[in-house]
Amino acid sequence: MATTFKTLVLDKDVANTRTMLHEAIPLTGTIVSGTYADENIKNYAHGMFQSVYDYPYLSSSANHIFDLTVGYSATSALSGAASIQNAKKINIYNQMAQVLVGYDETGAIREFDQDGNLAAGGTKLKECVFVNFSRLLTKDEVKKGSFIMTALTGGTPSAPTDALTIQDHGASSTYLTNSPAGEYAPLYTSSATPNTGSAVGLLYYQAGIAVLTASVYDGAFGAPAATYDTSSIDAVLTGSEISSSCDGIRNRWQDCDFNNTTELNSTIYFCRASSNEFNYSSNPTYLSGSKIRVKNESTDSPSSYITTIGLYSEDNELLAVAKISEPLKKDPTNELTLRVRLDY
Amino acid sequence: MSFLDNSGDIILDAVLTDAGRERLARGDGSFKIVKFALGDDEINYGNFDSTDLRGSAFYDLEILQTPVLEAFTNNTSNLKSKLITITRTNILYLPIMVFNGSTSTDGGTQLTPAGSAIGGNIIPVAADSATMRNPDSGTASGVRLDAYGGYNAATSDSSNLVLDQGLDTTAISPETNIPEDLYESQYQLQMDNRLISLATPDGTTVATPSFVDDDSIASYSVSSATYVADITATGADGSPIKGPRGSRLRFGLRSSLDVQSSTYLFTTLGSEVSDGTNTYYYIDTTVRVVGLTTGNSVDLPVRLFKYKA
Repeated sequence: MATTFKTLVLDKDVANTRTMLHEAIPLTGTIVSGTYADENIKNYAHGMFQSVYDYPYLSSSANHIFDLTVGYSATSALSGAASIQNAKKINIYNQMAQVLVGYDETGAIREFDQDGNLAAGGTKLKECVFVNFSRLLTKDEVKKGSFIMTALTGGTPSAPTDALTIQDHGASSTYLTNSPAGEYAPLYTSSATPNTGSAVGLLYYQAGIAVLTASVYDGAFGAPAATYDTSSIDAVLTGSEISSSCDGIRNRWQDCDFNNTTELNSTIYFCRASSNEFNYSSNPTYLSGSKIRVKNESTDSPSSYITTIGLYSEDNELLAVAKISEPLKKDPTNELTLRVRLDY
Repeated sequence: MSFLDNSGDIILDAVLTDAGRERLARGDGSFKIVKFALGDDEINYGNFDSTDLRGSAFYDLEILQTPVLEAFTNNTSNLKSKLITITRTNILYLPIMVFNGSTSTDGGTQLTPAGSAIGGNIIPVAADSATMRNPDSGTASGVRLDAYGGYNAATSDSSNLVLDQGLDTTAISPETNIPEDLYESQYQLQMDNRLISLATPDGTTVATPSFVDDDSIASYSVSSATYVADITATGADGSPIKGPRGSRLRFGLRSSLDVQSSTYLFTTLGSEVSDGTNTYYYIDTTVRVVGLTTGNSVDLPVRLFKYKA
């Protein structure tokens, strides 16, 4: 009986695997501010956050890479009716806190905790910078221990200096799990001081959000040629809009690198062609009249050339297809196992 | 689609087809891969040169250098020609399928002659009665367009379409039986569901498709004696197959209600043609017939006509 299909045996020819795929993501300061003269920066009428693209955002080639925003707690010393966009900054803080930190036993929104030990109280991060990375970059999550960010924290807005490197030191083996948004770890300025009280922020891996305390920017702050008070980040947080703070953060953004993680669930189909299988073809050019072109005598070995593998449903509908980069000769002298992996 | 890079290691480029994605999205468990087939769509076996004086290692050199295209996601554009498993290795001839337009087989539907005013080498199918019959002729059987009646096959307008399978060679006597492992007992027919459906040879019943894919291509599997029978005639007449004959597939077509009662699809997908007397709308389509045993296939060019003026 001639056949064109071969049934896959479930426990022999089909295997399921899970693979973690990592990509290196570099976000240099020249993209964030400079190269595109802020044409890749999108501000909104609501003024709640600022979006950063990797190309002028009006172009269809542009990809959204992250959002920037700032906020402070209602209990912060910066909070006050005189502060510009005071309510919006509190709303941003509370929104991020309720998603990333959650609620206490009374249902009140918890504040960001410096070391993540919520039960012990400790220092709270009340004035924060939020960097919300796009899912395009973080994929399923940021790889633990791979995050490194360099911010210029001193100098003047037109000539920022004092590079400060912030990393999730030790997070590949030690991280926290008491967030409703998944796993996270404190960000430190030095591997020598990753201890309680030295963290300058928090990195939420699955959420793809970095939370930095505003106090890392300890000098003059703001965009070059700004018309607002640039004496300090506190002055910008109280005396300017959220977008002004975002401009200042971008101005002091030197570099940021991390690895993302994609969880690949794969099904591998082992398509086995035994020596006596798939040696003939139904290709219209295979025959001249009814004679097989690759044979001169009936005793010659038949042969065929594989370029395509089709995976079919029970009712013969083609569900997946795989192509081989060059034709593979199949004849009775060889056997082939073609490994087709479908990723989900 | 671009070519795959064949400068280094062999790579495998795998994608879900549109039908696969649709089934996956449906979430009802219908995405279940249970079998595979191998294909050689890009290969031109005419490049196999068994006369190459450099030796047999060079016979298939051009075939092995064939660049391979990336995978198409359209499920009906792949695996047009499949590789066949036949355990015997001493086969020199394989069966083919040939459209049989001979009236002596009770088929009757023929390809139009090359250069015909309404289009050459096509199977003309009338979408409605007014296309085929001329009400002004004074007789019920007055012919307007000589075509297959796809509108109401229960009438005497209906003939049917016939495909013969067998070894098309004079090297083996037609008196010889075709080897059992090369006999086609089951066929799959694929056609555009918006335009036509499969009908029984007498045209009285429209068949139910096995499935209709996202491109409106309906697939029908037929194996019953209604459609498939042995070719009993062994003489030269009755079948275009020169050697041992296998099975005969006989079927009808039914034009869809949309093409019977509306010109929308004709003006959208088709054009107009005149036979010198009348003008007709037409749409070109293809009926693909695949033998499920040998994988051999044939594309029948069908032109669907509708009388305009």
